[in-house]
Amino acid sequence: MKLILSTSNIMNGGSSIRRTPTQKSNTELVSSFRSNFAAHSHPANSHIDGETKQQARTSYKAWTHVADDGRQELEVPRLDFEHSALQEEREAYDITVKLFYLPGAPVENRTTQTREAVNLVLKELHMPSIDLLIISFPGIYFDEEEDCPDKLSTRGPVESSPEPAEAQIQTWKTLEALQQEGVVKKLGIAEFGHDRLAAFLDKTTTKPSVDQINLRDCCSVPKNLLTLAKSRNIELLVHNDSSNVLPRGTLRELLGPGDKGAGVLTEPTRTGDKRKSLHGEETKSNGHADAEGLKGEVQPLWVVKYTAVVKNRGVVENKGYFAVAELSG
Amino acid sequence: MGLLAVGTPLDWPEAKKVAGHVRSWGIEQLLAIWRKAKGKERDALLWGDEIEYLVISFEDAGREVKLSLRQADILESLANDAELLRQGGGVPGLNVGEDQDGRPAPTFHPEFGRFMLEATPGAPWGIGFKDLLDVERDMKLRRKIAKDHMYANEFPITLTTFPLLGDRKSVTPFYPPSGPKLRSQFVPDEIANPHIRFPTLAANIRSRRGRKVELNVPVFRDKKTPRPFKDPTVDYDLHNWPEDDDVRNGAAKDDCIYMDAMAFGMGSCCLQITFQAKNIEEGRKMYDQLSPLGPILLALTAATPIYKGFLADTDVRWNQISRAVDDRTPEELGEKPLEHDRWRLPKSRYASNSTYISQDRRLRPEYLDPNLVVDEELKARLVDGGMDDLLASHFAHLFIRDPIVVFAEDLKELDLEKSDHFENLQSTNWQHMRFKPPPPGNDTGWRVEVRPMEIQITDFENAAFAVFVVLITRAILSFDLNFYLPIPRTTENMETAHRRDAVLNDKFYFRRNPLPPQQPKVNGTSSGTSTPQLQYSRPPTPTGPVEDEYELMTVDEIINGKLDDGFPGLIPLVESYLDSVNVDVETRCELAQYLELIKGRANGSLWTAAKWIRHYVAEHKKYKKDSVVTDGMVYDLVKAAERITVHEGRDGYAKEMLGKCRERA
Repeated sequence: MKLILSTSNIMNGGSSIRRTPTQKSNTELVSSFRSNFAAHSHPANSHIDGETKQQARTSYKAWTHVADDGRQELEVPRLDFEHSALQEEREAYDITVKLFYLPGAPVENRTTQTREAVNLVLKELHMPSIDLLIISFPGIYFDEEEDCPDKLSTRGPVESSPEPAEAQIQTWKTLEALQQEGVVKKLGIAEFGHDRLAAFLDKTTTKPSVDQINLRDCCSVPKNLLTLAKSRNIELLVHNDSSNVLPRGTLRELLGPGDKGAGVLTEPTRTGDKRKSLHGEETKSNGHADAEGLKGEVQPLWVVKYTAVVKNRGVVENKGYFAVAELSG
Repeated sequence: MGLLAVGTPLDWPEAKKVAGHVRSWGIEQLLAIWRKAKGKERDALLWGDEIEYLVISFEDAGREVKLSLRQADILESLANDAELLRQGGGVPGLNVGEDQDGRPAPTFHPEFGRFMLEATPGAPWGIGFKDLLDVERDMKLRRKIAKDHMYANEFPITLTTFPLLGDRKSVTPFYPPSGPKLRSQFVPDEIANPHIRFPTLAANIRSRRGRKVELNVPVFRDKKTPRPFKDPTVDYDLHNWPEDDDVRNGAAKDDCIYMDAMAFGMGSCCLQITFQAKNIEEGRKMYDQLSPLGPILLALTAATPIYKGFLADTDVRWNQISRAVDDRTPEELGEKPLEHDRWRLPKSRYASNSTYISQDRRLRPEYLDPNLVVDEELKARLVDGGMDDLLASHFAHLFIRDPIVVFAEDLKELDLEKSDHFENLQSTNWQHMRFKPPPPGNDTGWRVEVRPMEIQITDFENAAFAVFVVLITRAILSFDLNFYLPIPRTTENMETAHRRDAVLNDKFYFRRNPLPPQQPKVNGTSSGTSTPQLQYSRPPTPTGPVEDEYELMTVDEIINGKLDDGFPGLIPLVESYLDSVNVDVETRCELAQYLELIKGRANGSLWTAAKWIRHYVAEHKKYKKDSVVTDGMVYDLVKAAERITVHEGRDGYAKEMLGKCRERA
């Protein structure tokens, strides 16, 4: 079964506020999923800050949705695009979409995944196209020349090594097609250092317009990368995302039973319950969801992050994430 | 200041007699503007900064520094600079061309003090992040152009005040004090811009008040400062004008530095930022949301520790300006029973603001100022004209004042295509925020002006604070932040900001949680939080006591954030905003330097100019620990300020204030 997770617009919820400069940079993703699930499963009182944690949660079945046309898809929460449209016309916005292909997901399905991700965003924003699509390949970390201890914390667990360049080139062709169709204006890649970028440029016909790198304040950009980017007219943009934004364990925790989870999944083994009671945590209120929760292994496939900025005012009107995972077994 | 009309100004009390006339025409002009512009929509973010300079003159041979009163000559020289004009710069009204980069060159304006100069960018800034990087370059260009039109021994310096202003000698060319307009025993009439508007403003404020303005700044008590301290420069035996009696009637207070003229306040330099909002609603929202930040920005930029050759016990200029233009009568001040005047007025016309104006469901009635004075008749006229109660109250509050400078010629006919009578009151209400309706006759939108910041010594710092405020506004709009605080708390915060090193030692009332509450979501309504219709249909947010919404915080906590779930901090909010937009590497690094400076000022690792100047004086070999800052010390200090302006800490000097921010550049 496929799981489709969504945050809806996170700009007004505080999930995207960076608390400390060194915090893990998938905190935004995790906390915005969590708070969106909480807002749906505690509908009556979730807006009274801090007072509601003991309240029983609604069963996930009430606020998620299984596509009724036979596709095995569970929407967490139920997808609803009725009120999510941007306020102004297309030209008013700069819409950036960043697609994270996750480690362990099958590389051969990238075409479908990419189209699916872009389509979800277009539906959410009620827009026919986007300005910039950046793709993030698993296992690639931009290495700066200087030591920068702060940066390591933003990487997330390293679960894979980079895939062969041929696979990346193959994926890039999907993006070129989207660009030719007019769905995407510009293409970008993330975390490419000088050598990787040079090699990539040699093998592709459409060059990326953007290379997005994770740059901490204390670090400087290698000169050779700057020169290469400038000479090929590639804009170097800054980001603060971890490359491995959604590790398997994090996803299981988000969807699982327990206080922090959405109650969509049960624990894979019974030992989980034992561990909880050892800590004296009350799990009974979740018992209902626990019993009916789905079983199986989750494999995160991809995450997409979208941002719509009103160009001439610099106001971020909409930002959010979708994530898709495969539940098997 | 904008273009200045010329005519025959009315003396007081002639101006007083037509005050009602001017006010009612001003209200009609306001209504006309409001009707025309209330539906203006989707204006871009445009913004501008204003830098004010003191023109100082070094006489190195005698180790002297004086204020140069050559503003008019310098402006004339700028106005006649053919090259500058070709590039669209010069003085207003003459902008025609563009420079090579396609940006008009900067423009220069007169200010109240004849030793002052104001410079603004030739065209407003946008929100393109590359624009943000041009700000500092443009500020440096402005200073260079200004300098190029001065004598070799003159320099445009950005200290808030000249430390020797009022010593009866440090002006060049020399004029003696005690002139007919200002009647100051310390400064000559020639200290003010000679345009008839300015001397009239000063004279009519004095006449309305019934005595000279009175500035008593607490003196800093050092080891050898006499106790009580009696300002030794006060002349009790002067008999040129009736107002010379003021000091014999106790105007100069013990333990204070005494000053007696508008120039001591309006001669201060500020850093002001004006934003264009997308529409009137956004303008009203920005006005409200930026208001509680005012005192924090004031404390962060503190740069005014010296007056008239003495160390003061306060760090900022604000209250001195407030008193320098305080035209309230003894009745309005509450010193006499009300007989002739209409009401008691708790604040000077230069003060922290007293209104919230946004039609925002988050604005609770408890936040409003319970002591707000409003001209009910004028308010009724505005409401009759269709304006809503909140906005009508705001303007009817500004219109409790008398117009100070009235030109006889302007009273003949009401021109609803103009805004002169409205601006007469609007522009002589100097609150820390200003809500500016579109000027008639052009396409400018609704604007908000942020006025509390002190000017900084270097262009780097001025750019940093300007850009910081711009980014804060974007974060407010993007995250829908809520900084509402009861207005009386902001008024108190403004006082707190005056204390020595308030930025490190004092606490300010601030809202605990600026983030919007999590909205409950039932199936079917998942998003659309920015849709106005939905906003109004939401159930009202439950409210607890207003007092629980805010607490006392240090500037460090407000700027850099509290741990755990406390206030997130303005810098983290700005950084989170920057994480959500596409910024290129070079821009992000420059912005990081600006944010570093502000972080450092807030956590104490970098000093304010006030602290740096105090330290400079304390360490000066001639300083005798008696709070006296001598001519020679001021000469050295201003020389040091010039050096800092030029090198910005790159030569290792004044690192306590600037840190290593500039080293990487």
